[in-house]
Amino acid sequence: MKRKLCTLGFLTLALVALTLGSAWAETIRIGLMCPLTGSWASEGQDMKQIVELLAAETNKAGGVNGNQIEIVIEDDGGDPRQAALAATRLTTKEISAVIGTYGSSVTEASQNIYAESGILQVATGSTAIRLSEKGLPLFFRTCPRDDEQGMVAAKTLGDLGFAKIAILHDNTSYAKGLADEAKSLLEAQGKTIAFYDALTPGERDYNAILTKLKSAAPDVIFFTGYYPEAGMLLRQKMEMGWNVPMLGGDATNNPDLVKIAGNQAAEGYMFLSPPVPADLDTPEAKAFMEAYQAAYGSAPGSVWAVLAGDAYRVIVEAIAQTKETSGEKLAAYLQKEMKDFSGLTGKISFNEKGDRVGDLYRVYKVDAAGAFVLQP
Amino acid sequence: MKSTNILYLAFALIMASCPMFLNAYWTDVFNNVGLYTILALSLNVILGHAGLFHMGHAAFYAIGAYVTAILNTTFGIPVLWSMPLAGIMAGLFAMIVARPIIHLRGDYLLIVTIGIVEIVRIALINNVFDITGGANGIFGISRPTVFGYKISKPDQFFYLIWGFAAVTIFLLLRLEHSRFGRALMYIKEDEVAAGGSGINVAHHKLVAFVIGAVWAGMCGTIYASKMTIIAPESFSFAESVVLFTIVILGGSGSIPGVILGAFLLVGLPEVFRGLAEYRMLVFGAAMVLMMIFRNQGLLPPGPKNYNVADLLPAGGRK
Amino acid sequence: MEEFFQQLTNGLAVGGIYALIALGYTMVYGVLKLINFAHGDLFTIGAYLGLTLLVSMGLFDKIGPLPAVILLAVMVMILVAIIGAILERVAYRPLRQSPRLSAVVSALGASIFFQNAIMAIYSPKFLVYPHDILPKAAVTIFGLDIPVMRIIMFLTSLVLMAALYFFIQKTKIGTAIRAAAIDQGAAKLMGINVDRVIMLVFCIGPALGGAAGLMVGLYYGQINFSMGWMFGLKAFTAAILGGIGNIPGAMVGGLLLGVIEALGAAYISIAWKDAIAFCVLILILIVRPTGLLGERVAEKV
Repeated sequence: MKRKLCTLGFLTLALVALTLGSAWAETIRIGLMCPLTGSWASEGQDMKQIVELLAAETNKAGGVNGNQIEIVIEDDGGDPRQAALAATRLTTKEISAVIGTYGSSVTEASQNIYAESGILQVATGSTAIRLSEKGLPLFFRTCPRDDEQGMVAAKTLGDLGFAKIAILHDNTSYAKGLADEAKSLLEAQGKTIAFYDALTPGERDYNAILTKLKSAAPDVIFFTGYYPEAGMLLRQKMEMGWNVPMLGGDATNNPDLVKIAGNQAAEGYMFLSPPVPADLDTPEAKAFMEAYQAAYGSAPGSVWAVLAGDAYRVIVEAIAQTKETSGEKLAAYLQKEMKDFSGLTGKISFNEKGDRVGDLYRVYKVDAAGAFVLQP
Repeated sequence: MKSTNILYLAFALIMASCPMFLNAYWTDVFNNVGLYTILALSLNVILGHAGLFHMGHAAFYAIGAYVTAILNTTFGIPVLWSMPLAGIMAGLFAMIVARPIIHLRGDYLLIVTIGIVEIVRIALINNVFDITGGANGIFGISRPTVFGYKISKPDQFFYLIWGFAAVTIFLLLRLEHSRFGRALMYIKEDEVAAGGSGINVAHHKLVAFVIGAVWAGMCGTIYASKMTIIAPESFSFAESVVLFTIVILGGSGSIPGVILGAFLLVGLPEVFRGLAEYRMLVFGAAMVLMMIFRNQGLLPPGPKNYNVADLLPAGGRK
Repeated sequence: MEEFFQQLTNGLAVGGIYALIALGYTMVYGVLKLINFAHGDLFTIGAYLGLTLLVSMGLFDKIGPLPAVILLAVMVMILVAIIGAILERVAYRPLRQSPRLSAVVSALGASIFFQNAIMAIYSPKFLVYPHDILPKAAVTIFGLDIPVMRIIMFLTSLVLMAALYFFIQKTKIGTAIRAAAIDQGAAKLMGINVDRVIMLVFCIGPALGGAAGLMVGLYYGQINFSMGWMFGLKAFTAAILGGIGNIPGAMVGGLLLGVIEALGAAYISIAWKDAIAFCVLILILIVRPTGLLGERVAEKV
């Protein structure tokens, strides 16, 4: 009898130890929803590369709270419907939090799904204002909002002394949102909006638009669309022999811009953007740049992918500090306790809506060699 | 006839029990399959039964979705009540647009319908009449409620969508066996002979177009309430291509074929999610191969068998 | 007024490209009565092959700009012609006897396949042609600043179109093509090898499309796997505008569409530019389906 009790006790202990041990050695799963296919495939693939790199580093350093991190990736195809499916799929995979995604309407399609499952979502490339105005407690974003960029745009244009401004967008929700913000702020400042229209992205020939712009005789063109079109505009503007200055939004921040426009046409072009890691002095940023260069042989292309890296880092930091993986606890930490966390794009703190606080936007100028120079 | 009825019943029973053993993700996949099934069936009336080359079906779908979205967000009309309106608006649009083009020859009609779907999409993006929300689309659409019961989870939507699909299939089966359906098939086979037999070809084609549009519009309502946000990029030409392909590859004119086509074309890519980049590549190659090797589709409509005695008037002679 | 003429020249330059692509569509349609949806993607392939050849062979350093461009054009045209012939053999010939719809679906499938193949082989990013290949000077004519390259592009398009026109009208093979376009059965009875004629058509059409792709790549500098879609659709509109199956019609249609687009962008709205192009298409098909230069074909409901 004694023997049997002993064996039973021993077995129970073993079982308990095993379950505790497996809980101990559990992997923490973090989801990544990004556009691996579709029109923004290059952004999604950059996001994947950065997050995987960072996760490998974390795991090599021993993981978080002793647990290894596993990244679960789902493709949202840059399309709201696919995003909803991808989000539903991720909710069945026992993830603690999700990073993503790029594209405001794509992110929006997934918000409710994550919210209903209690999963923390940190968006990285979704700047539409309304995303954080819905009172979703588990929604955060490392990217700034369109109204902030609009304000910085209006201020920059004012500081540079432009009075007659032409605004050009490409009818996507992001570009139009930014253009509208800038327009209302500029008009409130008493500036003249000489031109306001949209071009069709994906076209090649913008001469018709440039000719029309030229006849409106603005002091500056503010283009809120993406870098391929910005590059084409710069190039064709130069070929027309028109020297009007051009300011762009953050979607034009991409080294390919200079490749498309050519050094001569791109020189003097200015744009707004969160600072890229190469321009930050923090040890994290430097270490990140070195690691990325070593792993992939080039600098990261898109600042939005770097923001995804920041999303990863804040999630991991939250898990490490709270020693929890539930959405509510992590969200509470991010909102209340995370202050000036050293991110790859600057200091990160979140306000009660889940937006990133702080003046994120800086002005960059392209020099004669095609490099992006941060302006003071 | 009898055996197909049994098959339909068996299919219905299997589908009804699905949510119990599928997880949320797969239920949602089946929801998407359901939506595409309804849309493809509505396109089947136009393309399969009437033989009109129509590649702009996404336009009708879009109009239905947007009508619901606008009525719901601006006027607070509950989603399911706006469904008939969405259908009617889509149908009206189809009538206005189809009237001038109905007489065009096959390939030309194809191109015109492509043009129409693109114009609708551009109009939506450009915020025509200032009600479509532009590229942002419309958000904040409420969920459907049935007698106070709110439908928001995938398995609840499953029953709504597949219930609607069942009604659609039933009605379309009746249409197929009706006089109108037979007239459409006659027009598809030989337009001149049909006209010679006294069928008003233009009228029948137009009605087929409108029926297909009305159904697509109503499906748009369900889509809008499921996603709670709609944006113009969901209603592009690529969507029309998918629907067109489902009908053709499944078997144009055949309801079981179209249902099978929807399952394959919408369900299979989800199975192959891991190979995302090569998915579309395989899709394109599959289309070419299907046309070469089995161009009538997977489940083409069989020849119709009619019992002579049934067709003779009551008390008829031999 | 100056703006009007400036936009006119803009439109003509773009129209030249549309016309080149439209020629491919119209030739194939004339002979096979098939809308080759994959034609826009052959145009894209031309642009990509041009980039690959340019970069890998480093031609400019070896023989200087002008001979290099011509050599590049010839190589691209031959390669795209081969791909076009393969496409015909694999995707369209087996469907010669099938209903027209099958060929259309096959064309769509081929188009999707090509687009995604390009994306898989090259990458979804925008690729850029090296700069400083072409002269960037601008000449001033009648007070308008026109870049030299646009004039050269326009003239090249005209030369290629004229060459094609003479080929079709004046040579024996050209006559064979025209015969096959009118009636394949009768052509066969006359001893014309219709299969070979069709293959030739699928070499010439795609070759022109590939040349247009190379020009677009060289001049605009930036290429992307989905660029064939819009260009292709507009080119098809142009072909219909001028009268499908009609070679001068494709030329006229292309130039006209380019001008309508440019003027529409200038005077109505840039954002609705494409919608205007499609409206033109629909109007033409309703009012005059044979196009501006086409023959009357009875079409009764």
